[in-house]
Amino acid sequence: MKKLVLKATILTMALLMVGSVVFAQGQTAAQDDEITIVVMPKLVGIPYFNASEVGAKQAGEDLGVNVIYTGPSTADAAQQVRMIEDLIAKGVDAIAVAPNDPAALTPVLRKAKQAGILVLDWDTPADQSVVDLSVHQIDDKEYGQHIWDLLVEEMGDTGDYAVVTGGLSAANLNGWIDHGLAYAKTQYPKLNLVTDRVPTDEKQQIAYQKTLDLLKAYPSLKGVVGVSTPAPLGAAQAVQEKGVAQKVAVVGTALPTDSKPYLEDGSLRVATLWDPSKLGYLTVFLAKEMLEGKKPVDGQDVPNVGKITVWEDGKTVIMGPPTDFTKDNAGQFSF
Amino acid sequence: MNKDIQKKTKQTETPQEENRMRRLVKKVHLETKELVLLQILIGVFLLMSILSPGRFLSVYNLQSMAYQFPEFGIFALAMMVIVVTGGINLSITYSATLSSILGAVVLVSLNNLGVPPLVTIVIGVLVIIIISIACGALNGLIVAYIGITPMLATLGTMTLFEGIALNITKGGAISGFPDMFQWFGNSAILGIPVPLLIFVLVIIATYFILQRSSFGAKVYMIGCNPTATRFSGVNVRKVLFLLYIYSGILTGFAGIIMASRYNSAKESYGYTYLLQSVAAAVLGGTDISGGFGKVFGTVVSVLILQVISSGLNIFGVNRFITDVIMGMILIVVLTINFVNNRMEEKALLSKKVVTA
Repeated sequence: MKKLVLKATILTMALLMVGSVVFAQGQTAAQDDEITIVVMPKLVGIPYFNASEVGAKQAGEDLGVNVIYTGPSTADAAQQVRMIEDLIAKGVDAIAVAPNDPAALTPVLRKAKQAGILVLDWDTPADQSVVDLSVHQIDDKEYGQHIWDLLVEEMGDTGDYAVVTGGLSAANLNGWIDHGLAYAKTQYPKLNLVTDRVPTDEKQQIAYQKTLDLLKAYPSLKGVVGVSTPAPLGAAQAVQEKGVAQKVAVVGTALPTDSKPYLEDGSLRVATLWDPSKLGYLTVFLAKEMLEGKKPVDGQDVPNVGKITVWEDGKTVIMGPPTDFTKDNAGQFSF
Repeated sequence: MNKDIQKKTKQTETPQEENRMRRLVKKVHLETKELVLLQILIGVFLLMSILSPGRFLSVYNLQSMAYQFPEFGIFALAMMVIVVTGGINLSITYSATLSSILGAVVLVSLNNLGVPPLVTIVIGVLVIIIISIACGALNGLIVAYIGITPMLATLGTMTLFEGIALNITKGGAISGFPDMFQWFGNSAILGIPVPLLIFVLVIIATYFILQRSSFGAKVYMIGCNPTATRFSGVNVRKVLFLLYIYSGILTGFAGIIMASRYNSAKESYGYTYLLQSVAAAVLGGTDISGGFGKVFGTVVSVLILQVISSGLNIFGVNRFITDVIMGMILIVVLTINFVNNRMEEKALLSKKVVTA
């Protein structure tokens, strides 16, 4: 009996050993004198954050710093907290995080700061009192207004429309929608929002289903705004299936490669987004500059990214205006 | 497998003999299971220490892990006590977050009213515990008295709790507690993290309730054979009802630690712990069909999962690979346990022939 137990245990150990060694080969061991920057997305394994990984890793190579791109496999704030705790124990120089929930990360980010680690947020703002630098892809207000401008361009400034969003608790999505709605109230008073923003769990399938429901419930619908990357695709799919692509204009925030087929058949009129790989690149670039004691300045030209905007507080950095994707240019992008 | 034998012996033997038999089965069984688990724990600990020297085996990391696993460990025990009865409690994480959200509402409003922090916190914690008891009681009511299958009943309450929580928070997080509230999740007494102390108290309480009381004996009996248990004069419904309340209270403790550690309350905090806690319970030797499971095994498997998770994280391994490795370990341990069970069975059967 004991023998069997022992054998089995040894087997487990062997498996672990082999596993670790195999995977370790993929990891270049960090030199202690090398700068190590952690870039943590909300979760790993979705196209958007895969694209930013490419950018972050590229910046690491270009700038000669060690970049660790790691995050939880589900968008759970609790898992992010645990991973950051481990990374503090590992001893890194900078942690840039896209928080799943800003409030939840405040205590652990404070711990990181106390351990002498540079703390940044990227993609989604964290509690501003604990971060040394906040890297934004876009000015939320400008972006929200831009989305509504696109909508009006496609459907005209009169008529019924609906908003399909990723989730009701996502601060950045809510921010854009709030800015857009406020803007529409003053700028386009004849637009009529038929119902509250519709949540779709960040899933294309649900956005598709919910849009079908909307089309049924509001036959007068002329436009759909999809916020969060899968939402416009689901909406476009629904509009195309119902054969109302001419009548109902779908616009929204989507990745160009994903939206290409819908842009081509006209069910998605226009998509607008920033380049996530540039955002990853910029985050690593700025983290390295900060570690070397250089603060970002307004109008600074960042290689491979472009001119950045820095707010008066000196720690909020805006990457730049969004890029619009139509059927003519969607093929030129790799994300 | 083992269970069947227990059932058979139950009918044919006198109570004393049956008890002796059960004790024997338990003893042999657990010794090997626990031995395997302990060896694995020591093994992975050494492995991680060798692979990232000075980092994994640092005071900071050991302390940091001690802050991390208590909330998970408490969830695992809340799950384990129910799995022992042959049930499952899918509502544990949402019961914890619903309790902490209602507690958070109280904490924030009293704090804003200028009530002294200590009073605020005592009331807030009481609210969390009371709500978690209510959540547990609802589960118990549906499972024990209405008689709906635990999986379906708790699936329902899980969605219910999530819905209520979302209605209160509107999808955001509730924050703005008195600073003192962070004590539960972020402080240490004599270098020992407070969450760890809470976890130790929970372990001791669960051990005595489940393994050292007549109530606990009834729980295991229900897990083995609820019908036989009922006919032997045990109030099965009452036992189940109380057990679900206990599971609920544990989620309340986890809720307090999480709210304090994250300094806020939100419905989705820790939702990934649900399946992980089933994994921890099963890895710890709990029989998913009931009748078997020990506090010690569950706690050791929680530690194993924590060491692997932190170790691989420090080592810089991709999170998906971590999942793969965890899955591998689960399968290997379950296989070992299965094989051991069968061998014990054989040994036991031959022994029985001799003594009879």
